[in-house]
Amino acid sequence: MPALDPQALVIALQAAATNVVKTDVSVLQGFSQQQLNAIAQQSAFVAGGIADGSIADDTRDYFLNSLVEMAKSFANILAGLAAVVIEQVWNALVGVIWDTINQVTGLALVVP
Amino acid sequence: MKTPARKILLAALLLVAACTTQLAPAYDQAIVSGLASANQDVQTLFASLGTGVGKETYGTRVESYTHIIGELNALEIQAKSRPVPGSDSLAEANKVLSANGIGQLTNDPQFTSFPSARAIHDISVTISTMRDADQGSGIHGDELKAFQNQASIFLTQAITYENFLKRGEK
Repeated sequence: MPALDPQALVIALQAAATNVVKTDVSVLQGFSQQQLNAIAQQSAFVAGGIADGSIADDTRDYFLNSLVEMAKSFANILAGLAAVVIEQVWNALVGVIWDTINQVTGLALVVP
Repeated sequence: MKTPARKILLAALLLVAACTTQLAPAYDQAIVSGLASANQDVQTLFASLGTGVGKETYGTRVESYTHIIGELNALEIQAKSRPVPGSDSLAEANKVLSANGIGQLTNDPQFTSFPSARAIHDISVTISTMRDADQGSGIHGDELKAFQNQASIFLTQAITYENFLKRGEK
């Protein structure tokens, strides 16, 4: 039975976590940047519309409230994406650990 | 490594690696396809408006509005109908984001474990409000741009989240 090498395991765990984080966080960064730009642009449209009268009293409050809602919804989405990243990292680590245990023990345990 | 130490490490690993976890809903191809279809319908509606429209031509757009709003409302129900495992984890992620200065979500009464359903609902309300404005006085200038940009923001939120649920296959 081969000995478990803790250092090798740590390196494998780091690699597994990094692979997930690299991919997922780059998606999160791109999405966040796009959203922040779009929300800033929306503020400009609403301000411009109020100034030139195309946004009248009947929709003005709606657009102003929507600016708040889109920021909150954006943060809500980010929290949801973060939960997926955490799940991915956790499962990647579990996979590496079980592989290592299988190698050391000679068993063929299936990750539950 | 000495045997006792090895046993302790194995026991610790087994504890840590109790099982895989699921913290978000399963990917649903039907919802992704539905969002793609709704996105196309919304963009087609905006393309048909050009730089602005008057209320006298509203009648030609009634069917498009009705179709899109119904489509979005059905998608919202679909997105909300999935089981959400570990919904507490989303609240925890929310706390981490708030602690890092991204919003004060803990005070957001609308905070939900169905974030894409919230965005889909917001798109539907956007299109409904736009329909009313179109019927009342037509849509022009920055108001039209604001409706379009707002719909695109909420669509992007919903589409990004649903695609992200595909996990490793992104």
